[in-house]
Amino acid sequence: MSDATMDRRVAEQPPVGWGRRLVDALDERLGLKALQYPVPAHANTLAYSLGGLALISFVLMVATGIFLTQYYNPDPAAAHESVRQIITGVTLGSFIRAFHYWGAMAMIVLVGLHLLRVFASASFKRPREGNWVIGVLLAAITAGLFFTGSVLKWDQESLEALEHNIEVGKLLGRFGFWFSDTFGGLALLTRLYVVHISVLPALFSLAVVVHLLLVKRHGMAPSPFRRDTTKDTGPEPTRPFTRHLAELGALGLLLVGVLMLLAVLLPPSHGPAPIEGIEVTKPPWPLLWVYPVEDWVGVSGILWATLAIFAALLLVPLVDRSPERHPLARRRLPVVIAAGVVVGFIVALIVYAAVQPVVSHIEM
Amino acid sequence: MTRPPRRVPRLLSGIVLAWFGVVALAAPALAHEGEEEVPARTQVAVADAILRTQPEQVELAADRINDALEAEDHEGVDLDRVKQAKEALAAGDMLKTQLLLEQALGACPGQPVTSPTGVRTKLPQTPCPTPAHELALGRVPLHGTTKPVLLGIGAVLALGGLALSWRIR
Repeated sequence: MSDATMDRRVAEQPPVGWGRRLVDALDERLGLKALQYPVPAHANTLAYSLGGLALISFVLMVATGIFLTQYYNPDPAAAHESVRQIITGVTLGSFIRAFHYWGAMAMIVLVGLHLLRVFASASFKRPREGNWVIGVLLAAITAGLFFTGSVLKWDQESLEALEHNIEVGKLLGRFGFWFSDTFGGLALLTRLYVVHISVLPALFSLAVVVHLLLVKRHGMAPSPFRRDTTKDTGPEPTRPFTRHLAELGALGLLLVGVLMLLAVLLPPSHGPAPIEGIEVTKPPWPLLWVYPVEDWVGVSGILWATLAIFAALLLVPLVDRSPERHPLARRRLPVVIAAGVVVGFIVALIVYAAVQPVVSHIEM
Repeated sequence: MTRPPRRVPRLLSGIVLAWFGVVALAAPALAHEGEEEVPARTQVAVADAILRTQPEQVELAADRINDALEAEDHEGVDLDRVKQAKEALAAGDMLKTQLLLEQALGACPGQPVTSPTGVRTKLPQTPCPTPAHELALGRVPLHGTTKPVLLGIGAVLALGGLALSWRIR
């Protein structure tokens, strides 16, 4: 081919924009286009974006948490005052703390809904059982992050939560040594702070990486809620994963906006400094279901009920092994009804504890 | 794929509704059981709990304070402080009432808690070294232009996210 022909062909090509050139340059170095692998169209729905939104919430928690760690003092003698200082004396401190609070609530709700969606659509079935276990571990870590975070504000509710934690630690015998206030060289509150800001986030990050790698390895689970593809429209169409990421980014913006509005309009209050020897508060709503359980069974009920729930979650792939995926399919129905009763019972316990006078708890 | 009959969701709804019904009936019954034999210590703790969690129930808290003063078992309670709390409540000073009730139990409001002892541990009736008490912070509103600016950014992000997710889908 002559040089003149080459020049003419180059001149005939449409000009490439700077954005495209930037993407190409980054792709050459980072392999970004590898993210354009196909995923089924149902991935671009809200129900299949809940896990991604939970991860976005976690990132928001890390970002706002880094801000809060600059001002929070984990010494029990100064913790309460430092939270007051964040609220009243730090620029945007009250807003960031409120955003952190509402983000934690959002993360708890999103993880719970994601778990329910995966269960309802049977996305845990072969070969995804291992990823279900990782997901349950992530839910447990999220619960741990919520609990430790609720203790750090060090008001009466926090102290009572920590006292119950110590009692549960005693029930664990020699395995509960970490929860003893005499273990280690630092106060339990300080050690819980370390767990909240480093141990649990690190474990969460590691587990999320494995979770995402397994999603990539096995592909997105088929949706049982789609109509019969062979009779109607043929195989389900696919979209590039980058489109799913764009959708997730848009929903993430929506989440950030809603959290900002909640943080400005409904900032959380902060109770008075804790006082020993009295029990006068109820736990925050995600932990409220343990309140009546303690009434009925004692402190040991908190431990056993929590263990029972996570054990039941871990057993789900072993119990529900039928190939059927629709939640109302005949062979899945008993497991789905059992799960519905458990979830309904927990919701009912939360409502019961919310309306129950604190009086009856103390007099038990 | 076999679809089960529609009565299953109805059955589930029935179970949930029945549970809520049982809960609604049980709650009031549990609240007022054997009040006359309750020790003063429990009555004072309950009165304090009511003022903290249901501050609108002043009458209920006043009843509990009276019950505490009339209870036969006064162990672990400073009755003088309970009497002062009754007067403070009658005067409408809720915060002073709480403070006195907590001190009546041997608690030291304002003293930093560095090593939690356990749930419902009885405290020694010793004088408090630091009687100062920090009060609760309610919702602290943002001042100046910060609030409308943050609200505006939040609204733009929420609406923008909604519009983008609609468009991408």
